[in-house]
Amino acid sequence: MEEIIRLTGVSKTYDTGKIQVQALKPLDLLIEQGEYVAIMGSSGSGKSTLMNILGCLDRPTEGSYFLAGENVSGKSDNELSLIRNKRIGFVFQSFNLIPRTSVLKNVELPMIYARLSAKYREERARELLEKVGLGERLDHMPNEISGGQKQRVAIARALANQPPIIFADEPTGNLDSKSSVEIMEIFTKLNREEGTTVVLVTHEPDIAEFADRVLTFRDGCVISDRRKGEVKN
Amino acid sequence: MFLENVKLALSAIRINKMRSFLTMLGMIIGISSVIAITAIGSSIQGVVNQQFESIGRSAVYFYVNWAMVDDYVPSEALISREEIEELKEHFSDELLYADPNVSFSSPVKVGNAEKKIYVNCVGSGYEQFSDVDIIYGRMINENDVEGARARIVLEANSARRLFGTENAVGAKVELTVEEEPVDFTVVGVYREKETIFTQMSTSDDLYGYAPYSLVPSQADYTIYIYAFLAPESNVAETATRIGDWLAQKKGLPEGFYIYESAEEQQGMINDMLGMISVAIGVIAGISLLVGGIGIMNIMLVSVTERTREIGIRKSLGARTGDILLQFLTESMIISALGGILGTMLGVAIAAIGMSVAGVDFVIHPMVILVAVGFSALVGMFFGIYPARRAAKLDPIEALRYE
Ligand SMILES: Nc1ncnc2c1ncn2[C@@H]1O[C@H](COP(=O)(O)OP(=O)(O)OP(=O)(O)O)[C@@H](O)[C@H]1O
Ligand SMILES: [Mg+2]
Repeated sequence: MEEIIRLTGVSKTYDTGKIQVQALKPLDLLIEQGEYVAIMGSSGSGKSTLMNILGCLDRPTEGSYFLAGENVSGKSDNELSLIRNKRIGFVFQSFNLIPRTSVLKNVELPMIYARLSAKYREERARELLEKVGLGERLDHMPNEISGGQKQRVAIARALANQPPIIFADEPTGNLDSKSSVEIMEIFTKLNREEGTTVVLVTHEPDIAEFADRVLTFRDGCVISDRRKGEVKN
Repeated sequence: MFLENVKLALSAIRINKMRSFLTMLGMIIGISSVIAITAIGSSIQGVVNQQFESIGRSAVYFYVNWAMVDDYVPSEALISREEIEELKEHFSDELLYADPNVSFSSPVKVGNAEKKIYVNCVGSGYEQFSDVDIIYGRMINENDVEGARARIVLEANSARRLFGTENAVGAKVELTVEEEPVDFTVVGVYREKETIFTQMSTSDDLYGYAPYSLVPSQADYTIYIYAFLAPESNVAETATRIGDWLAQKKGLPEGFYIYESAEEQQGMINDMLGMISVAIGVIAGISLLVGGIGIMNIMLVSVTERTREIGIRKSLGARTGDILLQFLTESMIISALGGILGTMLGVAIAAIGMSVAGVDFVIHPMVILVAVGFSALVGMFFGIYPARRAAKLDPIEALRYE
């Protein structure tokens, strides 16, 4: 297996002026291409902090982050935009669809920033929405569809530029158990059939069960790194 | 990408229709006043030029410099008909026409009512330099002047009111010249060009032309000369030369005879119009500035409101330049739309105003182009700061924004 993510001594300290919060203690982490990883841990343990760094939305205070062998720590803002655009798909707990913009247009967005032609964009967006079971809702606005459907649109959007890796921060956090399972099935299918690396954060053990590897956080540290089949300790 | 930005901007404007419209108002007012003023200005200028064209561009009016006269005009200052002829001979190349500037008014019967007729007394050839549009018969000629014949050329309306027909050639009319009744024969009828001035003169006076020799008290010795210079001559220089030559010949000091020319008056009026345009242009400029600040303000509000959207876009790969262009396009489109609406309003105001005044409406297409382009520029200038603020947002902070 080829490595896709390597963190060496990555830490994050939030400086709020008065107090400094070390949300992430120096961390080494290796994730290989095609892995299916769940991150668990109590609230405030640094899961989102890590996800934002992995998703190139935020920069670590210290340490280096290699994405597919390339050090992204020293990249400029625009270079990071390009990486987020082409190499990473990010799914949020709160969906983050753009309001008053059709489902189809939302899915087209990453392709617009990739400067792809309008014709290709529309075709690809349709195809993706059909894949997540929303072929009938192309022209709906985000406020006209359910939470589960919104998250499916968000996944379709994350997949638009065929990124080799998907990050999802509590993708089922706002959904009921039925929709949660549907969403997880999409991730699982992606991982199994297309070999996409999936890293997701969840609070629910049921959801974590879908993954092959579970990282557990506490106070900014990984306290357990368990693979399926291994014995619980 | 550009097309996407335009679409985005239009949909943002559509979502906040009222707000966008109010923002545009500044531009609309600014641009419409610029357009209306320049259009009205150039229309009036057109009328003024046309007016002077009809007087004759090279018309010059000589008169005595009153500053050099004590109590009354000395008799040696009076100019005789012979001297006018000498003048014409001496300046045969430059001075194409000259008459002693004679006119009289007389009561005249129209039906049972008594009206007033104003008669401009001219020499022969007057029509070659001034645009008297003869529709029937002829203009005053050499024989009329030489023989001091009681001939009159009537204005078409006056002819119709006197004789019930415009073609009044051959008809007779009795007028009072220097307290004496004189029987005039109509030899021609001319049509007055429709201009802003003729429309405004609603008086029911009558008008006509007669030979100047009919009024010897004015014609034989005058202190005025009405003249036309050759069109290619330098009016100021030639007129000064003529005036000085005449003064010297009559043993009078230099500068005794001065002049006023149509060209100079036209220039003065045009200068004045230009000054008014500049003053109003400055006011319009200020309103554009205010409009621009309004756009900046609303764009800042819009950027704040859409912070989260900006975060989402950045998380999906939008670069600094993409966000910058998106907001810049929006402010430019708001501003340019304001410019287009303002142009339409301005053209409408000017067109209505000019049609009420009965003046040909003149607008240069360039003005419209410049107005719309300029308003887009204003939008760009005032949009830069908000757009830069949007573009520089940190993706993660923007996403956290509530
Ligand atoms: N922008 C910030 N400024 C200051 N402190 C922050 C900021 N973001 C997070 N933190 C702090 O960092 C710590 C880790 O936060 P983080 O969001 O990573 O937790 P989490 O594991 O995702 O929690 P949850 O399960 O509730 O989402 C918390 O103590 C939090 O208060
Ligand atoms: Mg979190």
